[in-house]
Amino acid sequence: MGLVALLSGILSFLVISQATRELGRFGATDYIGTLIVVAIVRELGPLLTALVVVGRSGTAIAAELATNQVMGEVRALEAIGIDPKQYLVLPRFLGSLVSVFALLVLFDLVAIMAGFAAARFNGLPGPRYFQIVLQSLSSRDVWLTIFKAIAFGAIVGVVPSYFGLSVRRASTEIPIAASRAVVAALVGVFLCSALFVALS
Amino acid sequence: MTMPAPLAFEALPIARHASAPFSLDVPERRTVAVLGDEDSGIGRLGGYALGLERPATGRALVFGTVVASLPEPDRLAFRRRVGYLPAGDGLLQNLSLRDNVALPLRFGSGASPRDIEGRVTVMLTALRLMSAAALRPAQANEEERRRAALARAIAFDPALLVLEQPFDGLTARVASELLEIARGGESAEGARRTIFITGQEIPPILLRRVDHVYRLTRAGVLELETV
Repeated sequence: MGLVALLSGILSFLVISQATRELGRFGATDYIGTLIVVAIVRELGPLLTALVVVGRSGTAIAAELATNQVMGEVRALEAIGIDPKQYLVLPRFLGSLVSVFALLVLFDLVAIMAGFAAARFNGLPGPRYFQIVLQSLSSRDVWLTIFKAIAFGAIVGVVPSYFGLSVRRASTEIPIAASRAVVAALVGVFLCSALFVALS
Repeated sequence: MTMPAPLAFEALPIARHASAPFSLDVPERRTVAVLGDEDSGIGRLGGYALGLERPATGRALVFGTVVASLPEPDRLAFRRRVGYLPAGDGLLQNLSLRDNVALPLRFGSGASPRDIEGRVTVMLTALRLMSAAALRPAQANEEERRRAALARAIAFDPALLVLEQPFDGLTARVASELLEIARGGESAEGARRTIFITGQEIPPILLRRVDHVYRLTRAGVLELETV
């Protein structure tokens, strides 16, 4: 949570500071709204949030499930009539969906507030900043962000789980599974992001 | 009409260099042990019985059913009729011993949380685990882990128990106590449960409580040992 807020705050402050200065020279400060909504809230927000969660939780999910597999816990679950996908994967999948969505909301709120600070710092009045941002924000942007949060959350939950459960019986496979899971999840998030851009 | 054997293996290819496939019927209410080296392939019998592994040829039947051929939801439900103590105990490391014992009941019994807690307490008491119930498997000793794994295996009070290397690392006294709990008491027809044990050896003191002891050679030949 702290990392997401920090990333969001710094990114938004830097981008809006530069934009306010440069666009102000051409009297085009109205485009700050488009910049913060399209570039930060809609594109970078979901992407960076997903990257943070992949880095922090994707490795943990893959390593945990790989350990479960190597220790014979997955086999034992099946033997006592419990579906490992239901017991081990489903909670992680739902947790990823909720956490990516909640962190994305945090990212966007911090980004907008940091943008406000940057705009004020560079001489743009506060009410004007919020007016520009609200004018640029459409319901389509909100829905796109929600869909991205769901899609990226699903990738973060499913891909590391798949790689974690794919190991066989050797503990040496655990770090391999974790690194493969992170790489695959990152590729998945970027491809999914590109797909959203292509379709929207 | 005769009832099918609780557990039957038919022409299973378990050993790499076996001259013949493995076949065995485990009669009802009997305790049967199959002993052998790791190379003999005995470690695969439990997996075949519960449908955790599919043999290339042959089949394993539990109460006349090939578990591996059932659809997944039915397969999971069917396994609740069989108690299984895997080699290495298979306890979940992030749960206490109490929660490990309660796990199958929480997911498969449909009983109320209060009833489940009551049953778990009874089992923990029977297995003399109450003082270690709050420990995680990594904090417990081998005997406590084995007791917890056995308590989990008999959580549904199954008619058939499959035990893989259940007595390795235990004293003869503890092994004897666990076997008695696994048998579930005696009746005129024999033990209340049918028990199938695999392992490399079992303590000699237990031999009089095991109805049939077989030794599987590396060549895949099943020899009945005289007890």
